[in-house]
Amino acid sequence: MTSIERDTPAPRPVTRIRIEPRVNRKPLWTFAMYLAATLFGLLLSALLVWTSGADVIKAFSALLNGAFGSQKAIIASLAKATPLILTGLATVVAFRAQVWSIGQEGQVYAGAMGAYTGYLLFAGLPPALFVSAIVLCGIIGGAVLGALAAILKDRFDVNEIISTVMMNYLIVFLLSWLIGGGPWTEVSTSVVYQQTGPIGEAAHLPALMGSGKLHLGFAFALVSALVCYVVLEKTPLGYEIRALGYNPVALAYRGTNIGRTIILVMILSGAVAGLAGVSEIFGTAHRLRSDTLFNLGYTGIIIGMIGGLRPLGTVAAGIVFGGLSSGALYMKLLAQVPASLVPAMEGILMLTFLCAGVAARYKIVRVKTDG
Amino acid sequence: MGELFQEAILVSILAGMIRIATPILFAAIGELVTQRAGIWNMGVEGTMLMGAFTAYFIATATGSVWLAVLAAMIAGALVGLIIAFMTVTMRVDHFITGLGINLLVAGLTLYWFRMYIKGRAQPTFDGFDNVAIPGLSAIPFIGEILFDQRLLTYMAFAAVPAVWYLLYRTRWGLELRCLGENPKALDIKGLSVSARQYAAVLFGSVMTGLGGGFLMLGFSDRFLADITAGRGWLAIVALIAGNWMPRGVLAAVLVFALLESVATHVQVLGIDVPHQIFLALPYLASILLLMGLRRQSRQPQRLGIPYFR
Repeated sequence: MTSIERDTPAPRPVTRIRIEPRVNRKPLWTFAMYLAATLFGLLLSALLVWTSGADVIKAFSALLNGAFGSQKAIIASLAKATPLILTGLATVVAFRAQVWSIGQEGQVYAGAMGAYTGYLLFAGLPPALFVSAIVLCGIIGGAVLGALAAILKDRFDVNEIISTVMMNYLIVFLLSWLIGGGPWTEVSTSVVYQQTGPIGEAAHLPALMGSGKLHLGFAFALVSALVCYVVLEKTPLGYEIRALGYNPVALAYRGTNIGRTIILVMILSGAVAGLAGVSEIFGTAHRLRSDTLFNLGYTGIIIGMIGGLRPLGTVAAGIVFGGLSSGALYMKLLAQVPASLVPAMEGILMLTFLCAGVAARYKIVRVKTDG
Repeated sequence: MGELFQEAILVSILAGMIRIATPILFAAIGELVTQRAGIWNMGVEGTMLMGAFTAYFIATATGSVWLAVLAAMIAGALVGLIIAFMTVTMRVDHFITGLGINLLVAGLTLYWFRMYIKGRAQPTFDGFDNVAIPGLSAIPFIGEILFDQRLLTYMAFAAVPAVWYLLYRTRWGLELRCLGENPKALDIKGLSVSARQYAAVLFGSVMTGLGGGFLMLGFSDRFLADITAGRGWLAIVALIAGNWMPRGVLAAVLVFALLESVATHVQVLGIDVPHQIFLALPYLASILLLMGLRRQSRQPQRLGIPYFR
């Protein structure tokens, strides 16, 4: 309207900067963007440490040393990485299908609770069978909660973000009742600590590499990554999952039952997240309590996103951030910086990576236009 | 139990409902404007948490609650600026942006909080007092429930008709609603889509930050990690349940607030059930509400879809 009304003389060519989508993504440009995102994220994190009055160099070197400075530190880092890889993979499976589930948090709890139910039900089985039954119950626990969100989305058109957030809160309240006054509460003490009694040794996940913190859960994480990779990249279901993300309408025309695919996606995602709960309770904490599970699911979203929604990238991201949360304890001791710097860093890096992901898909071009 | 005692409990539950509704209402009414402009902001929880933490920090550092309220609004605006930059300028997926914001703020506030209280007892502050409206508060029953509240509570409820007027009776509101339905129409008219979406996100985030500030200053005397406890999410549910209309949003917020108020009175009422059941009610109610609603006709057509010219 304005250009017509304006009394314009002959149009003059003007050079303008425009942002256009790239037809082919250049790997080098993509890499440069993510490198820039990492550096910018680290810079912001350093700024955060600096503004709160701590020694930046001291804090970061303690963090790095605590994470990967010795063999013992590396093993501790891998143990911390275990649940994060699993919840990260759960994110990958759901988000690749553009099902924005953030139910990983609740599914971790459901997995732990399912496994604890199995522990109570199957006590007395031979050891190998006992542990297998517990793990299976945990997987089922997570998968059921995942399926519930999928059914709500498919049958009742309930937005999965909101339903999963609500279920995250509900499951935490359920656990809080079960272990804080309900039937699973530790009975021997007079004070209620919000935890169950210790889990019998027969039910512990066996340690890997002799003794130490690393347990069978880490093997589960690696196997799950492989399974997710094969399912996503090499099977018809994986094709449907990816297609659901790109073009659900075309997929429906092809004759695929979209509701069924979403339910399968959420069962798989929930199962993997449930495994994280099993591994944390039966491999590390050896009793069911809520604070050991807290935030594993939400951190998994960051791990999966930073891992580029790819199973192998997620394993790498999980190990890096597992290392950081393990090293955070050293940092707290040596540099007096709170360990909660790590979740703040995770949040910062997630946002810079999101921006990099978009920047990698576009290019800046100079165009000549009229007026 | 005497009749007088029962009436006192009822008044207490209903007055509690009005107070508990306040922070969620601020966020929901602010978010209504944001969403009508087509931005599916999932970062409400994080924005609210940032407002709450900032309010705590300023209230304990300066001792002034009104400075704390102002700071909470500014903090909300800053978070909103990040959200707007990512969704409008960078065109990152709206859902993912919101999730990222929530995680970022959860991490940041926890870090700052630990830094702030390092090596000392956690400082506390004196929150808001009730401001009884002369005359009206003397009305038996109703006066005690409605007109003996915090000042910001009156403001939150006044914001509902104000935003209704803004959306439906002003040119600005018409353009804003158009953003959610057909942004191209505005663009073709030569009106900036980006500028209006930035404004809508900022308005919503300032209101949400204010809600977070009230949550801090109106209910408590100290900060806790995850103090918002899903109230930001309830605001989003209220929006959907309220069909993106001011009146409906208000009704949905009041339902959630009533459930929470009842939960806090369980002990007084002498009901012998685990208190977790009542804590869980608002979340359970949201899922059931959303199940009953299915797709809504009033949802803005272009909600959550980045605009490309």
